[in-house]
Amino acid sequence: MSTQPPDGTEHGAHGGVTPGTYYGHGLPYLSVDRYPGKIIAIEGTDGVGRSTQIHLLREWLEVRGYGVVETGWTRSPLMQPTIELAKSSNTLNKLTFTLLYACDFADRLEKEIIPALKAGFIVLADRYIYTAIARAGVRGTDSQWIRRLYGFAIAPHLVFYLKIEADALARRVLEGGGIAYWEAGMDMKAGDDIYDSFKSYQRALLKEYAAMADEFGFRVLDGRKSIKAIQEELRRQIGEFLEGAEDVVRT
Amino acid sequence: MFVTEWNSSALVKAATKAGKKKNALTPMTFSLLHATDFADRQLYSIIPPLKAGMIVLADRYAYTAFARDVARGVDRQWVRDLYSFAVQPNLAVYFRVPIDVSLDRLLARRVKLKFYEAGLDMGWSSQPSESFRIFQSKVLDEYDRLVPEFGLSVVDATGSITEQQREFRALVSEKLAVERVES
Repeated sequence: MSTQPPDGTEHGAHGGVTPGTYYGHGLPYLSVDRYPGKIIAIEGTDGVGRSTQIHLLREWLEVRGYGVVETGWTRSPLMQPTIELAKSSNTLNKLTFTLLYACDFADRLEKEIIPALKAGFIVLADRYIYTAIARAGVRGTDSQWIRRLYGFAIAPHLVFYLKIEADALARRVLEGGGIAYWEAGMDMKAGDDIYDSFKSYQRALLKEYAAMADEFGFRVLDGRKSIKAIQEELRRQIGEFLEGAEDVVRT
Repeated sequence: MFVTEWNSSALVKAATKAGKKKNALTPMTFSLLHATDFADRQLYSIIPPLKAGMIVLADRYAYTAFARDVARGVDRQWVRDLYSFAVQPNLAVYFRVPIDVSLDRLLARRVKLKFYEAGLDMGWSSQPSESFRIFQSKVLDEYDRLVPEFGLSVVDATGSITEQQREFRALVSEKLAVERVES
């Protein structure tokens, strides 16, 4: 799927887009066609183990001589303080929430992701736009509007989705230190009980992710498996993909 | 009556200020930050007074974004889609001035043009007044498109303030009379 050249036609805001090109209207002032780098996104709900997997992948790729850049949700220098502040107060509605995320993503796209692609690096993305689409979807945002909004995003070369059910996830998150307010979707005011709210919120999120799997070509992995088993599967699929991608920088 | 101003919400103030100070905003983050500001003000300052039957006077509206963001190279259709959450105003008035008048007025009231105001982020010219002229003429071209597309009422802003105010009041009175009949 990565070897097709960009076909130069106007893409819709949905899947079926050539990896490494914009999903929709893109950034007209910034052409990204034929950049040698690759985007590998790891998606999945809170507590499913994305960060651990990315950490391990990074080591493995670097040992093999690839240049690696990591980018993570809400970590842009421009937006991080604002998002933290907004989350700690109660002033956001679903629209402002969505737009803050989009701004964070745009900042990282232009400052981290695109320069890395240009330089032939592998970008490991801890969550991608699908997290924003899932969260907005659960909160009732128009699904076409949010897809068009993220029309400035670049379609990743590989998207792995770590799938897990809400029950298993709840136990894992509790073992990891407890359920946080936003992970439980408490802003949706489904009730005062954080466990029940977590379960129903995560279930709704999982439904959104499942609906996107075909649309955006997710490679679905079983998130209940051991860290090692998941890592092996990731390495196998990424290794296979990179074999055919000779333009990526290797030292 | 309720007044709301462009880029005034507390929510994104810190990010906008920090981004501007470091000249770290790109056309896209500039656009999205302003959309977030607008969304926040719509939530707190536009919809509640509308529901209470008040008149909301907005100093700039989404059209500012349509003109400026597109002048910076953001996709024209994308930015319109982005703002599809915005309430359509009952009356939108565009105060039109030629580029020279706009430049003279700005230079007269201030020592220095601001970085983003002058479009210096675009690198068209390192000379602020020249950069402003290039940027602003693109902005004005976009406004000219917006007038028929969104039915903006145009007031000639080269005239005296008294004249402009007379024209403006006539437009508003006419609109209010029509709205009153319709309701």
